[in-house]
Amino acid sequence: MTAGYLLQLLANGLVIGAFYALLAMGLSLIFGVLEIVNFAHGEFYMLGAVGGLLLINRLHFDYWTTIASVTVMGACVGWLFHRVLLRGLAGRSFERSLLLTLGLGMVLQNGALYVFTATPQIVRTEFGVSSVLLGDVRFSVVRLLALAWAAVGFIGLYALLYRTRIGQAMRAVAENREAALIVGIRPERVARLAVVVGIALCGLSGAALAPVYVVTPTMGLIFAFKSFAIVVIGGFGSIGGAAITAIALGVIEALVGGTVSLVLADAVAFMAMIVVLLLRPLGLFGTGVRV
Amino acid sequence: MRVVLSCLATILLAGAATAAEPIKIGASEPMTGTAAVFGEQAKWGADLALSEINGAGGVLGRKLEVVVEDNQCNPAEAAKVATKLLDQDKVVTLLGALCSSATLATMPLIARAQIPFVVSISTAASIAQQSGVGGNTWTFKTNPADDTMAQAMVDYLKKEGVKSLAYMAEDTDYGRGGVPGFADAAAKAGMKSLAPEFFPQGTPDFSVLLSKIEAEKPDRIVGFFLRGDNDNIMRQVEAMQLKIPFTGRIDLHSVSLAVSPGFLEKGGMDHTSAINPYQPDWDDPKNLAFVEKFKKATGHAPLQMGFYEYEAVYILVDAIKRAGTTEPKALQAALKATKYPSMLGATIEFDDHNLAHNNALIQAIEGGKIKFVGMSKT
Amino acid sequence: MRRVALAVGLVALYALPLAGPSEYWMTIAATACAFAVLSQGLNLVYGYGGLMSLAQVTFWGLGGYTSALLAKDLGWNPWATLPVAGAVAALAGVGVGYASLRLSRHSFAIVSLVAALLVQLVARDWQGLTRGPLGIPGLPALRIGAVVFDSATRFYWPMLTFALVALAVMWRVMRSRIGLMLLAIRQNEPLAGSHGIDALAHRLLAIGLSAVLSGIAGGMFVFLLTIVDPSILDFYYTESMLIMVIIGGPGSFWGVTLAAVAFTVVPELLRLTSELRMVLYGVVLVGAMIGLPAGIGGLIARRREKQWRARLA
Repeated sequence: MTAGYLLQLLANGLVIGAFYALLAMGLSLIFGVLEIVNFAHGEFYMLGAVGGLLLINRLHFDYWTTIASVTVMGACVGWLFHRVLLRGLAGRSFERSLLLTLGLGMVLQNGALYVFTATPQIVRTEFGVSSVLLGDVRFSVVRLLALAWAAVGFIGLYALLYRTRIGQAMRAVAENREAALIVGIRPERVARLAVVVGIALCGLSGAALAPVYVVTPTMGLIFAFKSFAIVVIGGFGSIGGAAITAIALGVIEALVGGTVSLVLADAVAFMAMIVVLLLRPLGLFGTGVRV
Repeated sequence: MRVVLSCLATILLAGAATAAEPIKIGASEPMTGTAAVFGEQAKWGADLALSEINGAGGVLGRKLEVVVEDNQCNPAEAAKVATKLLDQDKVVTLLGALCSSATLATMPLIARAQIPFVVSISTAASIAQQSGVGGNTWTFKTNPADDTMAQAMVDYLKKEGVKSLAYMAEDTDYGRGGVPGFADAAAKAGMKSLAPEFFPQGTPDFSVLLSKIEAEKPDRIVGFFLRGDNDNIMRQVEAMQLKIPFTGRIDLHSVSLAVSPGFLEKGGMDHTSAINPYQPDWDDPKNLAFVEKFKKATGHAPLQMGFYEYEAVYILVDAIKRAGTTEPKALQAALKATKYPSMLGATIEFDDHNLAHNNALIQAIEGGKIKFVGMSKT
Repeated sequence: MRRVALAVGLVALYALPLAGPSEYWMTIAATACAFAVLSQGLNLVYGYGGLMSLAQVTFWGLGGYTSALLAKDLGWNPWATLPVAGAVAALAGVGVGYASLRLSRHSFAIVSLVAALLVQLVARDWQGLTRGPLGIPGLPALRIGAVVFDSATRFYWPMLTFALVALAVMWRVMRSRIGLMLLAIRQNEPLAGSHGIDALAHRLLAIGLSAVLSGIAGGMFVFLLTIVDPSILDFYYTESMLIMVIIGGPGSFWGVTLAAVAFTVVPELLRLTSELRMVLYGVVLVGAMIGLPAGIGGLIARRREKQWRARLA
């Protein structure tokens, strides 16, 4: 149990946490602005990875073009998603959106299974498996790049929410929907942008992580549950809270998994989540009053 | 006169109709969820066997048909699927169910329906324990038991001078069932075994687990994982430049595909070894021909499930031919008396517990290539 | 008139196996009975109590494991394990419920989801107790004297009987003062509280009752399957229950009952193609949400409204 080993674990945890954060932030945004749980969020991430797979393996795009293209495609898919399925759902009918996105998730996952088969696919970028040694800690280049994209995603989202008027409108709707309507904020416009950004983030994380892991139709499942928990624990409506919770979760998993066992890491993470929620019912950084 | 002729005509037509009726075999496999990659392989294997057999004229003058249903690797679904195949489709035999608990849930159902059940992929020891004499006489298992394969692997590792082992296994009946047997064999051979690490199937990130094992510096890492996790793990192994070779029950073919070609050639995966019921990289001419056919039909190489389900169909057809009928009791007796020459070199014969003892392949990666080390009797 | 219809319905349900359906349809029928109980339990907690609980599957799973362990390890008579199964599930439900009832709607949902994941993790990894992923096979069948309920056709009768009793109990509670209180709490908790209604006690009662009945259902079901493994706690069952309650219409007893039967049967009817089955199922869900926004319960409610309007006009 050397210091170098613990440092490696911490570094791994931060990286994993950043990946959780990328997904959780998008989910939190959609959750906060539309008050719906997107049960298909993991599947959009998977679609992003599939997009990366197709562009790099079949069309031989380079890494940077792929990331940009898949993020933009994610935004378009988000726009379509809102236009076709979510219009008019925001703010009411929590259950309807739950089943709608659940059904959509099923269609996407099993559709991908049908089209691409369950056999895992490997995405090879021009970076191959080259890695970088920072002190005692080794990182593969694609993993570092994915970390960088998570940071870019967070900064971009922060800039959107705190430096633009429409971002301010989104925060307003997330904090108090009725009051935002009273001051004349158009909910549909705000909702549409929230979904576009949220799904674009899914696309980004899918494309960024496709070369790090392998691409399968069920790759979204494990991330999905953790993302829901992170969003609520981080605090309803708090994107920053979601990001911090995500990183904390990644670090806990890595430290416990690396020192005791992976199974216990999951158990500890779950119990920590329950304890946090019991002690702070509105989440760690919860804003506003929710009954 | 007209009455007689029309009666004759009806009888002849009916006879022709039943003669043309296909022989239906049922297959209960996980076609969705995290085990889908294996169910898919099993279906591909069965389909390939089917097209070959039907192309050669079918069985007893009738075409063969396989009805595949999704059991989602879940006993409750497996029960529904089995009853559907038995009642609605009236299959003459059932294949499957791949996941051990699904197989165990199906066994009482086929026994009550008195229809034979050919298991070719499930690994739980209790399946064979509960079959055959004094138990379920309708279930037949064609794939070898885990503990005999473990012993053969440990013997090989002993010759390689391996002294300490770490374990990395998927948290399913495959991993949980296989690791204790391997650890026992290792202990008897005087090797030190570290506490095993189990991970949920479909875990995306192995950096923590691999770092942990790296820190403990074992001679080898015994892996109990299959395609899917296999590919993901090997990718991350290469990325972190883990120098400890893997062994045990991993899929060498997928290992060779998952790492980058340059890495493999330069010997990055050398000293990796594994024992498996089947691997596509075995350079026997019959196998090479089989792999070619499989690749042409599906675009992927056959894995253990693909080959074993393929051969299971052939074993079944052999039994039907010997019985001369698809009547269940005759089929059961014919299956029991099976002496089928497997492509792996051994003869498929069912022992007291309806378990066959086929050969298993031991392979290793040396000089960047998968080399065939030997066959092991199980 | 209603009584006659009910009686005829009961007779028809009991006579179903005699009409000749196969083991397959009887397995589905037995499953439908189990899900009717489970989803009605969720309806009680969510449709009446207003709590989105994603831990309903835990009660069913805990019941199943309790029964399996008592029957296999301690050799108990399967019937005797059922009350214990229900009790264990109820204890778990009330315990978690008591600790988490102060949470917001969303937080409660997440706590219940995480609790469900935790229980599945324990089932998979506490090898010593639950045998892990290998599960506990070789369970005995339910029997009364010489009659063994091992086939689905025979098992259907005790399962149907239990389902009818459980549904009747829940129906009674929903129509009683307790049910009205729960609805009041669901619609406006602070207001209900100001009238002296104890939200905590009522909700705990709802959770406890649904837990007991779900636990017993789970205990019975594993004796049909003869094996219990961690997949009994899969999220797939939670999904199914949510689908049944939401499409049935939260708060609607008959809507949820109908939806439970319908959505046990629908995935089976979709077995036209093993590859596209789940895709079609997803399409059906999306379609149902677009076409039937208030669920079956909503349809029933609207029809009733129309009838009242007609009568008042």
